Amino acid sequence: MVLACTVAYLATLVRAQAPLNPPTQPGEDRIIQDFQARVSHYVEQRRKLAGNSPKPTTSSEKLDTAQQELARKSQVTRSQSERGDIFSPEIAAYLRRQIAATLAGPQGRRIRSSLHRAEPIQDVPLHVNQVYPQKLPLQSTPPSLLLNLPPLPKELQYRIVGRNLVLLDVTPKLIVDFVPSAIPSDKD
Amino acid sequence: MLRRWLLLLLVCAHLSQASCGSPPQQPAVVLSAAPQQAQPGLDLRLPLESSSVRFAVIGDSGTGGRGQYEVAQLIEAYRKLVKFDFVIMLGDNIYGGHHSSDFRSKFEEPYKPLLDAGVKFYASLGNHDDPAQERLYKLFNMGGERYYTFKKGNVEFFVLDSNYMDPGQLAWLEQNLKKSDSNWKISYFHHPLYSDGRTHGPDLDLRIRLTPLFERYCVNVVFSGHEHVYERLKPQGSTFYFILGNSAKLMTHDFNSSEQMKKGMDTDRAFMLIEISRDRLYFQVISRAGNTLDSGMDEQLPCLPDSP
Repeated sequence: MVLACTVAYLATLVRAQAPLNPPTQPGEDRIIQDFQARVSHYVEQRRKLAGNSPKPTTSSEKLDTAQQELARKSQVTRSQSERGDIFSPEIAAYLRRQIAATLAGPQGRRIRSSLHRAEPIQDVPLHVNQVYPQKLPLQSTPPSLLLNLPPLPKELQYRIVGRNLVLLDVTPKLIVDFVPSAIPSDKD
Repeated sequence: MLRRWLLLLLVCAHLSQASCGSPPQQPAVVLSAAPQQAQPGLDLRLPLESSSVRFAVIGDSGTGGRGQYEVAQLIEAYRKLVKFDFVIMLGDNIYGGHHSSDFRSKFEEPYKPLLDAGVKFYASLGNHDDPAQERLYKLFNMGGERYYTFKKGNVEFFVLDSNYMDPGQLAWLEQNLKKSDSNWKISYFHHPLYSDGRTHGPDLDLRIRLTPLFERYCVNVVFSGHEHVYERLKPQGSTFYFILGNSAKLMTHDFNSSEQMKKGMDTDRAFMLIEISRDRLYFQVISRAGNTLDSGMDEQLPCLPDSP
């Protein structure tokens, strides 16, 4: 049921947001569907672990404990996970193409400028199933880039760390997967 | 011995210059020694009209350092005078770790007198914030959401998460702006769309996504932080833009010269007071040292909402 709802939600978002550029290439629909199925599967597992949605509280201690607990449970459940589980080679290649085409398009200069000005974080060691360092800021993701990437459920976000594209589970701040060097260097 | 005295004199001269910041418009009470005792002489530039909406603005405040505490003491002193009952937060509310000790030392303790007086804080998220924890932290009044809206009198606030402006958030913003019937629409978020700060500068990609909506639906005022300075910019279309990212963090001498800047201050920490009455917005920016750095009144600029 949860899986069906998630797939339906993602499909609605796909219909609602037409990419600015580039157009979908033949065969990419299948790659996007595959990606969405992997994401839905992850989110289904993740919702089971998280249980009911947490309610706002004045206790920062409770929030901290709940976050750490969810991170721990997720790490245990996905202890065998590795890079490419969600961003398979085919999906990673698709995402790289989308990002490169977006950066080469009319918004490219602005997106690069935004990336440079959003306190970029370099040299963070990335490992699947690890918590993003609590004390480090997270760089913002340019909105024009988000318009050209497949939509995600609210539990997950695309984040840029260095030149890597990270799939972040927002609540436990867990690195679910990443695409190394997804952002072409300024010289490319 | 003489050299020691000379050195001491030099240090004192430097400290006195730093605490005064850029030339104040009028001398005010200097609060650096004992801010809590300076209340009788506070310089106030707001008219305090009846039935007006009054609030304070802080940005990049959550360091837990001395600067934050000093600004917080001054905000409390002004609260007694201005009687505002809410504060908007422009992001980077909690720097560094997000353990309960961080929430205490970087928010609950410095603003305790305000919280005890029933003042509500409405937070937006910065790049140093943890959305998972802060959106659920009741004292930030985010209702469990990354972006949200709230109303005070004839003013509606649209609080955005500029860290992650995904299509869902843009659609939400448009929908809520469209249905708003408030006289004043104010949006605030962390990353500035216009800025003359050297460290970060404007977020151009965010600008091209947000300004068309602000223009189409007549957003009157935009507040941002991120740049650790104060800047008032020339209005863009019918929208006034302010940056206040120095309520604890400070980046000194950080401006590029610019035609779009109306007023800038990058030599001391500060907070802002706003009063909205009918079609007028009064503002006053006060430094940690108690000087009024900028103040004035802006009449609502004419705006004709157009169809999407």
